[in-house]
Amino acid sequence: MATTAAPLPMGEPLGPNVASADVHFPAIKTYEQVDHEIINTMRPTLGWFILLALAILAMLAGAATWTYQIYEGLGAAGYQPPVMWGVYIVSFVFWVGIGHAGTLISAILYLFRAGFRTSIYRVSEAMTVFAVMTAGLFPILHLGRPWKFFYLIPYPHWRLIWPNPKSPLVWDVFAILTYLTVSATFLYVGLLPDFAIMRDREKNPIRKRLFATLSLGWRNSDREWRHFARAYLFLAAFATPLVLSVHSVVSFDFAMANMPGWHETIFPPYFVAGAIYSGLGMVFTLVIPMRKFFKLEHYITLNDLDAAAKMCLFVSMVVGLAYLTEFQMGWLAGSSFEQEYWWNRTFGQWWWAEWIILSCNCLLPMSLFSRKLRRNPGWLFALSIFINIGMWFERFTIIIPTLSHEFEPWQWGTYMPTWVDMGILLGSFGFFFMWFLLFIKQLPVMAMSEFKELIPAKMKQRAAGGGAH
Amino acid sequence: MSERPVNDSKKKSNVKRRDFLKILGVSGAAVSAAACSPEPAGKLIPYLVSPDETVPGVSTYYATTCRECPAACGIIAETRDGRTIKLEGNPAHPLNRGAICARGQSALQQLYNPDRLRTPLVKQAGTWKPIPWKDALAMVGEKLADARAKGTAGNAVFINQHESGSLVEFIDQWLAAFGMKPHLSVEFEADQATLEANRRAYGVAWPRLNFSAARLIVSFGADFLDGWGTSVPQQLDFADARTNFQTAPRFVYIGPRRSLTGLNADQWIACKPGSELAIAQALLGAMGHRTGTSIAQAATASGVSAEVLTTLANELKAAAPSMVLSGVRTGDALEVAATVAEINRAAGNVGKTILPDEPILAFEGISRYSELADAVEDMRGGRVPVAFVRGANPAYFLPASLKFDDAFAKVPFKVAFATQPDETVEQCDLVLPDLHALENWGDAQPVKGTLSLQQPAMDKVFSETRSAGDVMIALAKADPSAARRFPQADYRTWVMEQFAGGPRAFAAGLATGIASGNMSVRRTPGARGTGTAPALEQASGDYYLVTYPHTLFGDGRGANKPWLQELPDPVSKIVWSSWVELHPETATKLGIERGDILEVKTAAGTIKAPAYLYLGIRPDTIAVALGQGHRSRAKLAPWNPANNNNAQNFLQWGYGRYARDVGVNAFDLISATTDAAGGFVWTGTKASITKTGDHETIPSTEGSARQHGRGIAQAATIADLLGGKVKDEQEPLLPGEAPHEYLRGMRAPVAADAQGEIGAPTAADSGTLLGLYDPRNPLGMAKRRWAMTIDLAKCTGCSACVTACYAENNLPTVGAAWQNATVYAVHKTGYNIVRGREMNWLRLERYFEGADDAKFGEEFEGRFVPMLCQQCGNAPCEPVCPVFATYHSPDGLNVQVYNRCVGTRYCSNNCPYKVRYFNWFGYGESDRPQYAFPEPLNWQLNPDVTVRGKGVMEKCTFCVHRIREAEDRATLEGRELIPDEFTSACAAACPSRAIVFGDAMDPKWAVNQHIEDERAYTVFKEINAFPAVVYLKRINHPSPLTASKA
Repeated sequence: MATTAAPLPMGEPLGPNVASADVHFPAIKTYEQVDHEIINTMRPTLGWFILLALAILAMLAGAATWTYQIYEGLGAAGYQPPVMWGVYIVSFVFWVGIGHAGTLISAILYLFRAGFRTSIYRVSEAMTVFAVMTAGLFPILHLGRPWKFFYLIPYPHWRLIWPNPKSPLVWDVFAILTYLTVSATFLYVGLLPDFAIMRDREKNPIRKRLFATLSLGWRNSDREWRHFARAYLFLAAFATPLVLSVHSVVSFDFAMANMPGWHETIFPPYFVAGAIYSGLGMVFTLVIPMRKFFKLEHYITLNDLDAAAKMCLFVSMVVGLAYLTEFQMGWLAGSSFEQEYWWNRTFGQWWWAEWIILSCNCLLPMSLFSRKLRRNPGWLFALSIFINIGMWFERFTIIIPTLSHEFEPWQWGTYMPTWVDMGILLGSFGFFFMWFLLFIKQLPVMAMSEFKELIPAKMKQRAAGGGAH
Repeated sequence: MSERPVNDSKKKSNVKRRDFLKILGVSGAAVSAAACSPEPAGKLIPYLVSPDETVPGVSTYYATTCRECPAACGIIAETRDGRTIKLEGNPAHPLNRGAICARGQSALQQLYNPDRLRTPLVKQAGTWKPIPWKDALAMVGEKLADARAKGTAGNAVFINQHESGSLVEFIDQWLAAFGMKPHLSVEFEADQATLEANRRAYGVAWPRLNFSAARLIVSFGADFLDGWGTSVPQQLDFADARTNFQTAPRFVYIGPRRSLTGLNADQWIACKPGSELAIAQALLGAMGHRTGTSIAQAATASGVSAEVLTTLANELKAAAPSMVLSGVRTGDALEVAATVAEINRAAGNVGKTILPDEPILAFEGISRYSELADAVEDMRGGRVPVAFVRGANPAYFLPASLKFDDAFAKVPFKVAFATQPDETVEQCDLVLPDLHALENWGDAQPVKGTLSLQQPAMDKVFSETRSAGDVMIALAKADPSAARRFPQADYRTWVMEQFAGGPRAFAAGLATGIASGNMSVRRTPGARGTGTAPALEQASGDYYLVTYPHTLFGDGRGANKPWLQELPDPVSKIVWSSWVELHPETATKLGIERGDILEVKTAAGTIKAPAYLYLGIRPDTIAVALGQGHRSRAKLAPWNPANNNNAQNFLQWGYGRYARDVGVNAFDLISATTDAAGGFVWTGTKASITKTGDHETIPSTEGSARQHGRGIAQAATIADLLGGKVKDEQEPLLPGEAPHEYLRGMRAPVAADAQGEIGAPTAADSGTLLGLYDPRNPLGMAKRRWAMTIDLAKCTGCSACVTACYAENNLPTVGAAWQNATVYAVHKTGYNIVRGREMNWLRLERYFEGADDAKFGEEFEGRFVPMLCQQCGNAPCEPVCPVFATYHSPDGLNVQVYNRCVGTRYCSNNCPYKVRYFNWFGYGESDRPQYAFPEPLNWQLNPDVTVRGKGVMEKCTFCVHRIREAEDRATLEGRELIPDEFTSACAAACPSRAIVFGDAMDPKWAVNQHIEDERAYTVFKEINAFPAVVYLKRINHPSPLTASKA
C-alpha cells in the first residue's frame, strides 16, 4: 500500500475548501478523499443489481427477437417498401451519434484545456465505446442475410472478390471499426493510473492481479507520467479528426445516394453536429442520475453542468442552423422532387416527426439561455431525454420520409414499425446499459488521478506523502 | 391405383416430381401418336437412351388451345422434362397471333392448382369419401338407367362451361344416347343482347371487328379490351389501329363507369345507367333515321350535355367508316344493341369495320341465361332426376336471389365433372375429377375456316383424374343401348374420327395447332318474349348499382389462381379483395374515405366491402365487380399451411384456398332478371350505401395515382404528332454534367461512368480509349446493348405482361393471408401487399391526368406505364452495393447475383424507378407458411431461373436466361444471333405488341426503329441514369369540342 493516500486526519470534518464549492468547484481536499469516495461508488448495491438485471433482460429480449427475425426473415420487421431502411438504420445512426460526445469531451476539450471535462469525460468515453459497440450491431442485424455479413470485410479469398470500394456501406465498416479501436484505446490509456490505484487498494488477490495486469505495471514514476501525458495528448490529437470523419462517413450513406433529402452536401457537417448534440444529450442522461445516486455532487459540480449545457446550447443552434439550411436548399433547389419532399416531410405525411425534432432539438434547448435552468440538474435531465428522443427522430425523418416519397409517385408509401423493430431497439438499449452498468461498478467513473490535480496546492502540501496519482 | 396426394412429400419423396412422362404431340414438325400412359414410370429421364423429343433441360413446345374463355386462342405450351412451365401465344393462330392475356397464362395455375381434385369422391351421409372409378361409374350408370326406367331422363340437366368445338356435339350425342335433352352450354360473361342483335342484324353471333378501318370508335359500355368478346385479338387490332397515326380512330366510351376500355378511350361520356338507349337512338336520329328521340331528350335522360351529344353525332356523321359497339347490360340491352347495329348499318360500317363475313365462331351455341334460369326452376319443381355439371359454377355466379342452392338440392343425384372443388361441386353427390385442358384432347372453332386443336402438353398431374369425355364414353359403353353409338375407345379417338379430314388431318395440324376446315356449330335458339327486368328508375335505392365481370376473374373462375389474385385490377389496382367504386364527390357528400367499409343494400341483399374512390364513375352510381367472395357451405377453418400434408385437408371448398373468403360476391345484391335476349341483367337495380364505421387499408399496389408532373407517362395529341411537334429538343450538355456519348441507336446511351470513363470523348484520355460499348473496343466486351421500347400508344394496361413475368421468373405471390410473419402479425388477405411487399418485377402503373379537384364532369385521362428495371447504363443501384451483388454486365444489363447479396437493400433505396424487390420471407422454402409454390404449383417453376432465397434482393433481369439461351444456341450452331430471334417474356405475351425487346447496338433489331421514334423518351432523364427502357409517348385524340374550346 505504499502508494496509496495517507489516512484521513481524524477528527477534522470534511467540508468544502471554498464556501460554495459543492456547487461550484469540486469539494475535494485530499488524495485519500478522492480515492476513497470514488472507489466507494464501485460497491454494488441492490438498486444496481436490479437495473443490471433489467438491462440484461432487455438485451435478452432483443436477442430473442433477433433470433426470430433471422428465422422468419426481415419481413417480421415493419419494412414497407419502398421504405427499405427503418428503425435499425435509424438506431444505427442514433447510436453512432451518441458515440461522438465521448471523444469530443475527452479529446477535443482536452486539447482546448476545458476544465469542466474532468468530471464527465470518463463516463462519456465509456459511453462512446459502448454506444459504438451497440451501433455496430445494427448494420448486421438489418441485413437480409446477417450470416453473410463478412462479405463486407476485405478478407483474403481465393475468388478474389472484394467489397465494393465505391459503396459507402463499406466505408462505414472501416469508419466504425477505426473509431471503436481508437476510442477504446483512448479510454484504456486514460484508465492506466486509475488501474494502478485500484491495484493498490484491492484486497481480492484475483482482482488485484487483474488490475495489476491492466495497469501495465504503473509505478507512478515521473518518467511514466511524462510518457503518459505525451501519449494521452497524442491520442487526443489522433482521435479529434475521427470525431469529424466517422459521422461524416455515416452521413455519406445518405449523401452519396441520389434521393431527395439525402443527396446533400451539407450532410457531413450536419451529421457531425447532430452526433455531438445527441452525445451531449446522452451524457446528461447518464451523468445526472449518477451524480445523484453516487453522491458525487461535489465532483460533478453545477459549474461543470453549466458549462456542458452551454456547449449543448451552442451545438443545438448549429444543428438548428443545419435544419434551416436544409429547408432553404430544398426550397431553392429548383427541383420539384426536392420541394415536394420537403413539403411532405414538414407539413405532409411526416409532419409529426419533423415537429418532434424541431421542438426537441431546437425549441426546448433555447431554455438553456436561462442560467437558472442551466444549473438545474432536474431540468437538464428532462431536457436530455427530449434531446435523445429528438435526435432519434431526426434520423427517422432523414431516412423514412425520403424513402417513402421519392421520384416515383406510384411507389410512394408509408412506414410503421412492428414489435420486432421495437424489441430489437429495446434490446440495443439493454445491451448498452448492461455494459454501462457493469462499467460503473467495475471501474472508476471518474479519473481519480485527474481530480487529484484539482486539489489546491495548499491542501496538497498538507496531504503530502500521501497518494500521488 | 390408389389415392396418392402429390403434396405428401414426406411419404412419397420426390418420385412423382421426376416422373418421366410420355408426352403426346409434336415438337416442331415431329408428330407422335403414341398412347397416353396414366402410369408414372417412376424413373428419372434416362440420359443414355433418352426418349425421343425429350432432352433434359431443353424445352419441348406443344401447340394447343386455351380454354380459359370461349374465344379459343392458340397457345404454345413450353414443356420441360415432362412439365408444362409456360404458356405463350401461338403466332400461327388466326385469332391471337402470338399474344396471350393474363387469364390465359394463368391456366397453368389451374393445371397445377394444389386444390385440384385427385380422386372420385362420393358424398355419403354428408361426408366425402374417395371411391374407385369403377364404383363411381357404376353409380352413375345405375342412376341413368333408373331415370330412363322411370321415364324422367328427358328432364335431366347437363350444365357445361361453354367451349367451342366438337365437345358441344359430343355431349349432346351422349345425352341423346341416354334419352336426355341437349345440354346447357353456359358462359355467364357472354353478352347475350349483343349476340342476339348480331344474329338478327348480320346473321352471325360475332362479326370480326376491324378496328383499323374505323375513323371513330364509339363504345356503349362494350369493354372490348377487358373481357367483352375476344379480348386478345381485339386488343391487337385496336393497338394497331391506334398507332397507325395517319388514320388512327378516335375512341369515345359511353357508360356510367369508365372501365379499362373506357380508360383507353379519348373521351368518356358519363351517361346515366339505362340511358344508353336514348343516346343511341338520338345518334341514329341524327343520322337521318326516325327514332323518336331527339338529342335534347337524350341529353335530359342521360345527364350528358346536349353539346357533347351533338358533337358526337356530328363526328359520327363525318367519320367514315366508324364503329359503334354496344355492351350494355341493362334491361333494355337488346334494344340498345339493335339500335347500335342500325347505326352501323346507317353509317355504312357493315363490311368495312364490322365484318360479318369473317365471323368469330367461338360464341355460337352459348345457352341463354334464361335457359339456365328455366332449368333451375325445373330443379326447384323436383322434375330433374339427374344433374351434371362440368366446369361451370352456377352456385357461385347465379345471383343469390335465384336461390339456386335450394333448387339444386331438390335434384336427387348430382354429378360434377370438375378439376377443382367449388361451390357447385360441393353441393353435388358424386365428383368425378376431370382433366385440365392442358392434359386433354379437343378442338375448337375460333373463326370461320380455321379449327384450333387441343392436345395434352404433358401427362396428367394426378393419375386418378380422367377426362370427362373418356368417362362419358365409358358410361355409354356400360349401357347396352348407348354403347353402339360410341364405338370409339376414348374421347381422343372420338375427336380425331369426327374431325374434318379424320385423324390424319388432326395429327398433321398438331404441329401448328391449327387446321383449316369447318365444323357444324350448334345454333342458339332464337330469343323469345321480352325481358323480365323492371325499369331501372323504379328500383328503390339512392345509387344506381353497376355490376360487371372482373377483368381478371371473369365470372369468378379466375379467383383460385394466385397469379390473378396478385395481379392488380387494371383499373383500381386492388388485389386480393373486393371493393365498392364510388365517385369522390359522392364520398365527400357521405363522409366516406378510401377504405371505409360500406354496407351496400339492395332489395335482393347486402354486402360489405371497402370503398374505392374512383373518378371514372358517375356520382349517382356505384359499382362492384363480380369474381370474389367464394364461400364454402361446409364450415372450414381458414387454410392453414401447417396442415399441408393432411390428406383430408385438400378438399378446399369455397373454390380453393386462394379464393375462399376473399372479398364478397357482388351477386348477393342482384335480382335475377333477364333482358329481351334472355341475357342476364347486370345493371338492373339501385342500392343504398351506409358507412359501417369500420375501416381497412385496401390491398393495392398504387402509391400515388398522380404523376405530379414528373413525366413518367407522357402523352401528346395527335395534332402535335402529325404536326411534327412531339420530338424532344436535344438539350445541350450543361457544364459539369456527367460525360456521356450518344452512341448510335440509343437515346439513353452509355454512361461512361458505368464502366469507368474510358472512351468518353470528354474523359481525361480524350477519347483515345474506346468505350466498352464501342464496337471497335479491342476488349470486345460489349457487342450488344440489350434494350426495350414500350409504346404507350399501344399499351392498354391489360397487365398480361405482369403475369408473363410471374410465370417466367418464378415470382412468388405474397398476398395470401398466411404469408405474413407467423408470430404476432396480421393474418389478413393481401396484408403483405398493404405493406408494399408485392414482388412484381414488372408492374403496371396507372396514372390519372386531369380532374385534379376530383369534380365530376372534368375530363381526365388514364395513362398506363409498364415499369420494370430500366437496366440503366449509369445505374444508381450499382455503386452502392457493398459486395458487388449488383454490377454491370458487358452487354448492358444490371446483373443481380443472388448468392452474393447480403440484403442491405441500399440498391433499392437508390433506385429512382423503385423496381427492386426484396425477399422479406422465405417464399421459396417449402416448410414455411409463406411458401408461394405449394406442391404441385412448384412444377410450374422455370428451371432456368432461381427461386430466390429469403433476404436477397431481386429485380427484372431482361429475361437474361432467354438471352443466354439464344446466345448459346447461336454459338452451338456457329452463327450470330438473328435479329429478333427471341424476346423477353413480357414482350412475347403483350396483346398490344407494345413491348419490343432487342439489341440496341445492332440496327437490324426492331427495337432500334422505336428508339429513334420521335415519340421516344426516357423516364427521369434528369437523373442521368441512362435507362435502356425507352418509352414512346401515348397519343390522345381530343374531342373536337375540347379542341375548339382550347
